[in-house]
Amino acid sequence: MDAASVTAGDPAQVRVEGVWKVFGRRPREAREMAEAGHTREEIQTATGSVVAVRGASFHVAPGETFVVMGLSGSGKSTLIRCVSHLVEPTEGRVEVCGTDLTQAGSAKLRELRRQKMAMVFQHFGLFPHRKVVDNVAYGLEVQGVERRQRQSRARELLDTVGLEGWGDHYPQQLSGGMQQRVGLARALAVDPEVLFFDEPFSALDPLIRRDMQDELIDLQVKLRRTLVFITHDFAEALKLADRIAIMNDGAFVQVGTPLEILTSPADDYVRAFTQDAPIAKVLPACSLMRPLDGAAIDPGWPPVSSSAPLETALPHLLGSTSPVVVCDEGGTPVGLLHGEDVAGAISENRP
Amino acid sequence: MTVAQEARPKANGRRSASDSRLARSVLALGAVAVLVLGFRLFTDVSVFPESWDIGLADPIDRARRWLINNQTSHWLYAVLLNPITDAIDWGIRRLESLLRWLPWYCYPLLTGVGLWWTRGRAAGALGLAGVSLIGVIDLWEESFATLALMGVSVLIAMVIGIPLGIAAWRFDAVSKVIRPTMDAMQTMPGFVYLIPFVLLFGVGRVPALISTVIFALAPVVRLTEVGLRTVPQVTVEASEMFGATERQTLRLVRLPQARPAIFAGMNQTTMLAMSMVVIAAFIGAGGLGQVVLRAMQSIEVGQASEAGIAIVIMAIILDRFSTGIATADPGRDAPAIRWLAAAVLAAAAAGGLLGHNEFPESLNWQFAPYVDDAVDWARDNLYDIGGSGIGTGPFSDFVTLEFVTPLRELLSADIPWPAMIGIGMVLGLWARGLRLAIGIGAALLAIGLLGMWALSMDTLAQTIVGVAATLAIGVPVGILTAHNDLLRTAVKPVLDFFQTIPSFVLLVPVITLFHVGRIPGIIASVIYALPAAVHYTDLGLRRVPSEIHEAAESFGATRSQRLRRVEMPLAAPELMVAVNQVIMLILAMVVIAGLVGGGGLGLEAVRGLRRSDAVGRGFEAGIAIVLLASILDRLTRAIADRLRPPAAV
Repeated sequence: MDAASVTAGDPAQVRVEGVWKVFGRRPREAREMAEAGHTREEIQTATGSVVAVRGASFHVAPGETFVVMGLSGSGKSTLIRCVSHLVEPTEGRVEVCGTDLTQAGSAKLRELRRQKMAMVFQHFGLFPHRKVVDNVAYGLEVQGVERRQRQSRARELLDTVGLEGWGDHYPQQLSGGMQQRVGLARALAVDPEVLFFDEPFSALDPLIRRDMQDELIDLQVKLRRTLVFITHDFAEALKLADRIAIMNDGAFVQVGTPLEILTSPADDYVRAFTQDAPIAKVLPACSLMRPLDGAAIDPGWPPVSSSAPLETALPHLLGSTSPVVVCDEGGTPVGLLHGEDVAGAISENRP
Repeated sequence: MTVAQEARPKANGRRSASDSRLARSVLALGAVAVLVLGFRLFTDVSVFPESWDIGLADPIDRARRWLINNQTSHWLYAVLLNPITDAIDWGIRRLESLLRWLPWYCYPLLTGVGLWWTRGRAAGALGLAGVSLIGVIDLWEESFATLALMGVSVLIAMVIGIPLGIAAWRFDAVSKVIRPTMDAMQTMPGFVYLIPFVLLFGVGRVPALISTVIFALAPVVRLTEVGLRTVPQVTVEASEMFGATERQTLRLVRLPQARPAIFAGMNQTTMLAMSMVVIAAFIGAGGLGQVVLRAMQSIEVGQASEAGIAIVIMAIILDRFSTGIATADPGRDAPAIRWLAAAVLAAAAAGGLLGHNEFPESLNWQFAPYVDDAVDWARDNLYDIGGSGIGTGPFSDFVTLEFVTPLRELLSADIPWPAMIGIGMVLGLWARGLRLAIGIGAALLAIGLLGMWALSMDTLAQTIVGVAATLAIGVPVGILTAHNDLLRTAVKPVLDFFQTIPSFVLLVPVITLFHVGRIPGIIASVIYALPAAVHYTDLGLRRVPSEIHEAAESFGATRSQRLRRVEMPLAAPELMVAVNQVIMLILAMVVIAGLVGGGGLGLEAVRGLRRSDAVGRGFEAGIAIVLLASILDRLTRAIADRLRPPAAV
């Protein structure tokens, strides 16, 4: 699947073109076998090499949240390490903020990381020997920012993520959710343009995970950074993403908006994920509305925005037999949403 | 040889089915029997031929004489060795005079405050009392000599060891050289390190210091490397993602996280240095070791006990201090104690200017006479209780006559030397393969060629008796502690205590009861090695996962069935590690026991250190000790590997 075709608005801030990552001694043979359609196990038996990422391409626009979703072993973690260049890709091009990382020398890469990028890790990756505030200030310390300045900036960010007063504790004295807030504050402290998230919430309890997701959405509304987010949780992907890439066996299976993935899954593998998707939270009202076609509107029918999720209309639809009026951004009615259509979609969990 | 060749394990080293293992063991036993009987029946070879002695001692003695004669004139001394000697000596002197400059009372106070800070109030009080006791029994001066030598040794070991550990972590090539070197260095009894440096520098503090540094170096190097290697990868990635340079990541992320491991290494290095500094009294290092040594030679047990207790106090304080620092929680803050420490330091400086630096004589009190009385009483009453034939004396005779002497005769005379080499090689072949077999054969032959065959077999016999006794006591105790937490909490501090005592000092109480000879050496070595036997047995059994216990129980296994069929086989590799450790500790101690008439290689080495005309023989004995230690170490390690279940694929 060619991801470039769904790029939303160039110039992209992250461009990934045909990235391959093969671990092992014989990358070329492994690659040829992969292109001939062999599975990872077959390739490993034949060459001893593991193909972790096969030809992934995507662009991420400024301010966009791009989520890569895949099960464990799908290569998503290797992919994000190739993009952030913690791992050298075997082949392909990675461009961040207009700089080709595959061509950049180590000094150039370091400069780019100091100025433009940051990453949040699955198991937080906090430094246990530094106080919380010194963890957050780490990126600035590495850049050579003077102590008082970096400390005050760090405390500012701790306030932003709701950890005021915790700066002088050590990370291991904090709960998991709080630790990841420190991880987030640490990443934001260097004011990056691009943020990488490697399954940041998967180690957290479900309730805390939900809080963190909501907070990330709020932050993103305020800050509008470019996010590349890795997850194995399909619901999380639907909730956060502007666009989702579904990854299996090292390759992208489908790339699209949450709506596109839900309404037209590319194959059975993707469809399997959509089965349990909370569609009332994801599908917008316009997806199930019947066109107005000049029908009369009762002034008692409540309006709903066409981009609002179905669940916003549920309180009315459950208590009444009348439909709700779907309006566009200007407030003009464009269609009607009927209770039976919504009920049918939810009961079959399919649009 | 054909038999042995069949017994050779497959080239890929993988374990084959158990029946072929049994077959191999039977073949190995058969080969041994054939070897012994063949040589006994068809040849009259028994003792290693004296004419084969390559006589390494003579050139060594000549070299020693040459070195003594040229010590002042030759360029090697003028340009290289003498400046080193002077610099080290200067360092020790400076440190000693600095330590002596401070007023006496600041030492108990500082120790108390420091231990209170790192280990709690009780430890602080004991530290204060312990240091005061050293002054009270009038060993103040000697303690500072020991402390200064220790301080400089440990400092140099750190300055060399930590960068070496970093290099080993950073460059695989360095690691490949350093690891086996450190392994080999840790195998050797500390004692033998003294020999080459005496040869080069003569007696004194400088050779003592150099051999101490080398002996104590291994742990800090290894643990620095291990600490750096076990830093969580994700924190390193995080650092890299912020654009940190390699140097920044090392300084800000890797080294601070490796700190606990490095401190653990420093702790072990300190303890090794402590035991070595005491042993180095043999070559005139002075200090507390010297007091013990002199007192033991004239069998003044009271005096030896006083110095021994001072050494133990010092060792325990240093151990508690360094482990306290290593395990200190970075989040812990104790401003009150910090102020107290500052106040004591200020008082110390003021007192130093006023000159309160001698421990007041009015506080002196010696317990040596009481110990001497007790020793006399023990000698009169315990050696042979009421003429009944029961007591320490008859016990010594019994062990000597029934075990040590027959075993020595068996190894050195009854089994002909070629058969002995053959047995060693068969064991090597059975345990690992041809390379180990050849190595063992060559090492044993070399021992013979050095003219050390009979002495080595004497030492080996003592070691075997010691190991058997240690395992017979230690393994059951380990089994008990593994199944009884209460007992474990009771036994552990006792074992920790014994492990902290420098090996040499253990001889003091033992000769009180058993006079001199081989038996006190063996008993001291058993006490010395017992903690390791208990610890590893306990550890091995405790590592057996609880699901396996439950599985065995669900099949209705009795406790003894569970122990025999499930736990012991699963703990076998750890038990073999226990055997390995016990052998190495016993050997090290048996060698030191040469001082109290232990005989064997140790006696020869001691003589070489103390008499300049015996240096050559001492050197040969030292090489033989090293060879014997490596044979036993490699062999038991190979057997431990063999017992390990195949690794997961």
